[in-house]
Amino acid sequence: MATAKNARHHVVIGSGVAGSQAAETLREREPDARVTILTLSSLLFYNRYDLPKVFRGHRDWREFLAYPAEYYKDHRIEVRRCSRVAGVDGSRRAIALEHKEEIRFDTLLVASGGRGYIPEELTEYRPLMHPFSSYTEAVTAAGVVPERGHVIMLGGDMIGLDLARTLVDTRHRVTLVAGQQTFWPHEVSEDERPGLIAALEKMGVEVVEAADAGGIASIEKGARGLSARRVLFRDGTELYGDAVMPFFGLSPSVEFMLGSGVDIERGLLVNPALRTTSEGIYAAGDVCQIWSDADKRYRFFYGWKNVRAMGDLAARNIAGGAEPWVPAQDEKLHIGADGKIQSPFWEYE
Amino acid sequence: MATDIQISIVGSAGDGTIAAGEILRNALAGMGYKVISFDVYPPEIRGFGKCIARMRITTEQAYSLKHKSDVMVSLDDSHAIPHANEVRDCGAVIYEQGSIVRLPEGGHMSAHVGPGQLPYPLPIRELSEKSTGANRSRNIVVLGFIAGLFNLPAEGFRKAIGKKFRNKAAAAEASEAAFKAGLDYAAKTFKLDDVSFGPPVSSVVAGATVEMINGNAAIARGALDAGIDTFFGYPITPATSIMERLANEMPKRGGRLLQTEDEISAISAVVGAGFTGARAATSTSGPGLSLMAEMLGMGVIGEVPGVVFVSQRGGPSTGMPTKTEQSDLHMAVYGGHGDAPRIVIAPTNVDGCYRCAGKAFEMAEAYQTPVIVLIDLYLSNRYETVVFPARPPFEADLNRKPGKQAAGAQYKRYALTEDHVSPRAVPGDKGGMHVVTGLEHNELGRPNDSAELHTAMSRKRHEKLKRALKHPDFTQFKRFGDEGPVDVGVISWGSNFGECLEAMLKVRAEGIRCAAMKVVMLSPFPTEAVAAFMADCQEVLVPELNYQGQFANLLQAHVARPVTRLNRVSGEPMKVEEIIEEIRRLAGSKAAQKAA
Repeated sequence: MATAKNARHHVVIGSGVAGSQAAETLREREPDARVTILTLSSLLFYNRYDLPKVFRGHRDWREFLAYPAEYYKDHRIEVRRCSRVAGVDGSRRAIALEHKEEIRFDTLLVASGGRGYIPEELTEYRPLMHPFSSYTEAVTAAGVVPERGHVIMLGGDMIGLDLARTLVDTRHRVTLVAGQQTFWPHEVSEDERPGLIAALEKMGVEVVEAADAGGIASIEKGARGLSARRVLFRDGTELYGDAVMPFFGLSPSVEFMLGSGVDIERGLLVNPALRTTSEGIYAAGDVCQIWSDADKRYRFFYGWKNVRAMGDLAARNIAGGAEPWVPAQDEKLHIGADGKIQSPFWEYE
Repeated sequence: MATDIQISIVGSAGDGTIAAGEILRNALAGMGYKVISFDVYPPEIRGFGKCIARMRITTEQAYSLKHKSDVMVSLDDSHAIPHANEVRDCGAVIYEQGSIVRLPEGGHMSAHVGPGQLPYPLPIRELSEKSTGANRSRNIVVLGFIAGLFNLPAEGFRKAIGKKFRNKAAAAEASEAAFKAGLDYAAKTFKLDDVSFGPPVSSVVAGATVEMINGNAAIARGALDAGIDTFFGYPITPATSIMERLANEMPKRGGRLLQTEDEISAISAVVGAGFTGARAATSTSGPGLSLMAEMLGMGVIGEVPGVVFVSQRGGPSTGMPTKTEQSDLHMAVYGGHGDAPRIVIAPTNVDGCYRCAGKAFEMAEAYQTPVIVLIDLYLSNRYETVVFPARPPFEADLNRKPGKQAAGAQYKRYALTEDHVSPRAVPGDKGGMHVVTGLEHNELGRPNDSAELHTAMSRKRHEKLKRALKHPDFTQFKRFGDEGPVDVGVISWGSNFGECLEAMLKVRAEGIRCAAMKVVMLSPFPTEAVAAFMADCQEVLVPELNYQGQFANLLQAHVARPVTRLNRVSGEPMKVEEIIEEIRRLAGSKAAQKAA
């Protein structure tokens, strides 16, 4: 792809909302620069918030793409799909890809997002669960749940509860095994929780408090039919469903940044300008913890609007700006006039 | 659902690229699909050089390969990367996901998969090593993956693999394991591309057989079915496999094959064998044909039947031995000294190779002359599914034998007859003793250079060939597409005609009135039919794979009419899109003239 001589090479790791927005802003701000996106995905950028549509019969990946292929050609944005980053050398400004290719950069934006978190006590049952964090996982899950089938949802973060809305709407049965991660990333007090659970039940979601049943003892396959699942609780009670779907929040994808020279806590630590502790390396989206003067701590910011704003801000600062981070959305969980839950994290454009 | 899928496998010599292509096309043909396939390989034997196996799989007969593939497999990224843009949008690119050596930036296929294409990184090497203990079966792993990804019956592949390795038990066992590894990996792979195979359609009549065969094999099969007795040859790319195949088959049928010390010996032996009444042939390429020129003249003046199969390659001289070209037409039609007319026929597809090979023996015998069957590397190596009739469609003996001689009358081997063909005795025929010489001769065959005789004999040698224009059950030329007046007529010959036919069909769908004519009989030239076709065309386009426009030259020598030439010497088949562009341009300019 032709770029001007001596033009900078901006590399973005991650093709989600933050990464794609950053690439677009970089192209606008630096028309001559080379912009490369590295992503694990085999698809171009698609909106993860649209994924519940698979339960409404939308299975063609083309329907989920945010932009057509021509967009990337027209904007001269290189997209390297199925490319796993093995490591980053901040001092040499080099990225090592797992397939042994090295890519040099002038600036790097890490927007690798997060993957679905599974509590340690449940990791051995991972093969029996149907996660829902990518298009392929969504289509696979939709393929195993029959019409009016029963989904057992573990955890119940706001991504899961968004799906639950669709599942109820499409006349599926949803049983939520609630726990500490229910309503994540909202911070919900003990006082607020009963009302919110009641609101969920009003939405049509059956709720089982995991703690009341002594926690999950095991997940099994084939108890009733080849593909059916059984969730057995420690108190001997059990649930049968067509699929068990984990929604325990996100865990930042930062392993490849170990040894890069960038400080990491749970996510990549960045200053209010979204720059990491390493010169020329920025981070945006679910992968970074931003210093908050108000809270006097590094913290995550979630939600489509926040993530997109972070991608845009990081790109503007890479291109020479020095603007500080300002949250782009409300984070408060509400119960609407209809008695149902309303979350700002469900809003996207 | 109609199937029209093109798969390319690109690798380095030694990767098993061509072998994978062979297994894949045999498997698909065995399932009932129609397959057209063309392999590209380097002149080197092993270790470097690019190999490409390309095949188009259809339910309806296709005439050429497509410009863009639906699926591309990379067995070696360094060779496959330049071809990444030859995969259509929403097509699949299958490649090795890892590397055992460090790669420079851009050295991996993932850097070149376009935004519209679908990437399938695959641990090809790892799967091969885990399943077989070696990386040699990477090509078979890929076949398993293709079978699984596109939901093709594994049994068809297993049959084709079994056939390929029928005498190599260890290789067969390893291949089975590697195939299964690829198949299992596909079962875990999420399919994203929109490539899908519909059910095959069988249209084979009772008694006929369908075979996946290339042009050289079809030539050999045609020669065998026509009853070839003797073959003399000297190896040369891309004709060698004609001789190799005949070497396997002829002894089983009582035939004799001899590898001579060079091409001069080969053609000399063919003329000698033809003199004895045997059905004799040789095969060569352009450089070999040059060496045969003198003895072809001997065959012409001696009126000795013989067949020369010529597969053209990039020239002149050693040129580009593994690249295709149609640049020996002048040599085939005109090459040699003196007025030495000969029959030259050029099939346009693999089925045509079979028919032309068999018919060449008929014509050589019926008109007592050398016959050249002119193909090229593209046709030699192109595989197609061919339906062979239950019985060979060739006459066993068309020699005009002398009748009983009147008492005391001398046998006239070169008798001047009404149709210019003389009765031909062969050694051993009672009363048929005669002289054959390279010197001009009288009716008895005895040297004579009188003006009258040379004129009469020259006329005889030329005029008798015109009868070949009405040779029974032989397609000399054929028109396709719109009947009556057309905006653009495309005339072509040989392997290139398939692309012309595809182009014509596509522009007709756009509303351009278009027809295409293939000319199989190049010498003698079917002037009347070609002139009639050209009279129907406002514009005439002549695409061919040579620089000079050799067929256009031949055409214009017979029909005085301007034509537009489209010439390519890339070493590759012509792109259908290039022909379409030219037809559109011609149709557009004609429309513009009309409007003006």
